[in-house]
Amino acid sequence: MNELLSAFGLQQSVDFLLQLLIIIVKIAVVVSITMLHVAYATYFERKVIGHMQVRVGPMRVGPHGLLQPIADGVKLFFKEDIIPANADRAVFQIAPFVAVFATLSSLAVIPFFDLFYIANINVGVLYLFAMSSLAAYSLIMSGWGSNSKYAFLGGLRSTAQVVSYEIAMAFSLVSIMIMAGSMNLIEIVQAQQQYWYGMYLVPQFVAYIIFLIAMFAETNRTPFDLPEAESELVAGYFVEYSGMRFALFFLGEYIGMIVMASMAVVCFWGGWMAPPILIELIPPLAMVPGIVWFILKVYFHIFLFYWVRATVPRYRYDKLMSLGWKILIPVALANVVVTAFVKYIF
Amino acid sequence: MTLKELVKKVFFLEILQGMALTFKMMCSRAVTIQYPKQRRRIYAGFRGRHALIRDPKTQKEKCIACMRCANICPSQCISIAKKKRPEDGKPYLAQYDIEALRCIYCAYCVEVCPVCALVLTEEYEYSAYTKEDIYFTKERLLENWDDFAAKQKEETYFNKFWRPDGLDHSKMVKGKREQLPVSTRPVIAQPESVPESPQGNEKKETD
Repeated sequence: MNELLSAFGLQQSVDFLLQLLIIIVKIAVVVSITMLHVAYATYFERKVIGHMQVRVGPMRVGPHGLLQPIADGVKLFFKEDIIPANADRAVFQIAPFVAVFATLSSLAVIPFFDLFYIANINVGVLYLFAMSSLAAYSLIMSGWGSNSKYAFLGGLRSTAQVVSYEIAMAFSLVSIMIMAGSMNLIEIVQAQQQYWYGMYLVPQFVAYIIFLIAMFAETNRTPFDLPEAESELVAGYFVEYSGMRFALFFLGEYIGMIVMASMAVVCFWGGWMAPPILIELIPPLAMVPGIVWFILKVYFHIFLFYWVRATVPRYRYDKLMSLGWKILIPVALANVVVTAFVKYIF
Repeated sequence: MTLKELVKKVFFLEILQGMALTFKMMCSRAVTIQYPKQRRRIYAGFRGRHALIRDPKTQKEKCIACMRCANICPSQCISIAKKKRPEDGKPYLAQYDIEALRCIYCAYCVEVCPVCALVLTEEYEYSAYTKEDIYFTKERLLENWDDFAAKQKEETYFNKFWRPDGLDHSKMVKGKREQLPVSTRPVIAQPESVPESPQGNEKKETD
């Protein structure tokens, strides 16, 4: 026994435990901040859409309705968890956890600011793709497990949607990988500092538009919210859910929005770094910590989600398919080819 | 597809226009009236809870049981019972019920009444837990009027539907043509103490 311990080396095991502790603390910080953001993302969604429709949104719980998300959370937590009699119990019960797991684990690789990330892996972009595809399984599982036609239709729609939009999204990011020469998210951010405007948004404008459209489809947000189309499918894939499991789906959706917004910021908006020209013009801005830039950019994208939701009606299903396959994928492919050529020549 | 259409499609011009509009709307003031705290301003001609005017002279309803309101009512929610007085054989109103849950608040009854006995008041907060509470009998209709009259700031009240604009007033029946604003101040509340003002009102009525 003693030999075994000394073989491992006490110093090494202490180091390992310390690193583990740091990672756990980081996870706790990221998850708790994200949860708070999710709660208030629902609040701001209701406020923003309310004001865009010349209403006021929640006003009663707390000053200007500020405690509304907490009231909602408490209510959902104490509601009865109903499982339909003919549901596939195991699949039905697991599905919401898959949704939250998949989106939460995407947070692991996102570099929030300089040297603050949970994991720094060299295939960060691929990992994010894998996790966002995994989230689609939760939709399919809940659609299948509910044993309800509305939920099933919602699940089927999400399958088709993910298949047609994930490809375009991946291609739009392939051109980013070509430009940065890396799949590591931190290196992608740092590579963007070579421009005076500090972001890939300008040279890869086409890819950004494709990414934006695919981002809306990926998170099932409004122009492409067919899996949960309220006017057609009641609530789509989570019709049969109630209480805590319903809340988990909601959580998954909003974390998904935050992840996608962070992805757009990291890959196209220069992550936690400010444009170099801005710092040169106003030197005091160099003092602003990276997290502020990152959060401002993420908030803009989340606002964009709400803004589009308040403006654009839902797409017809066949239009959605033809947009994905006939326009986005060819354009994204062409963009990859052009980017590769330009990169090769210069 | 012309070049213009192509540009429109490629750059989402219409969606961007829509987004500009929603953004503009976000910066404008919300129109919401936060109900229990704020209240909508009620304009003359608002059609709310039903009431039978309490005649200041007789302290009873002015209705003459002519049945016109019951006949014109599109939702048939007014039921009237007419009886003959044993002493002189004249008809009198025995029962007057309005089932407010069926009413569509068109105010035809108010318009058609030849003696301006009926009114749709400006009162709109009268929801109740039972159907019976919103079934107005004659006594309740008179109470509704007392309620409404007590809340009026002005001494007199004239309903817009008694003599609607745009109709030839000279062709109306005498009761409508000559209807004056009715008093909103109760007469029997202070019978002896302040005899001046109620009598003054009464006089105004009979003029």
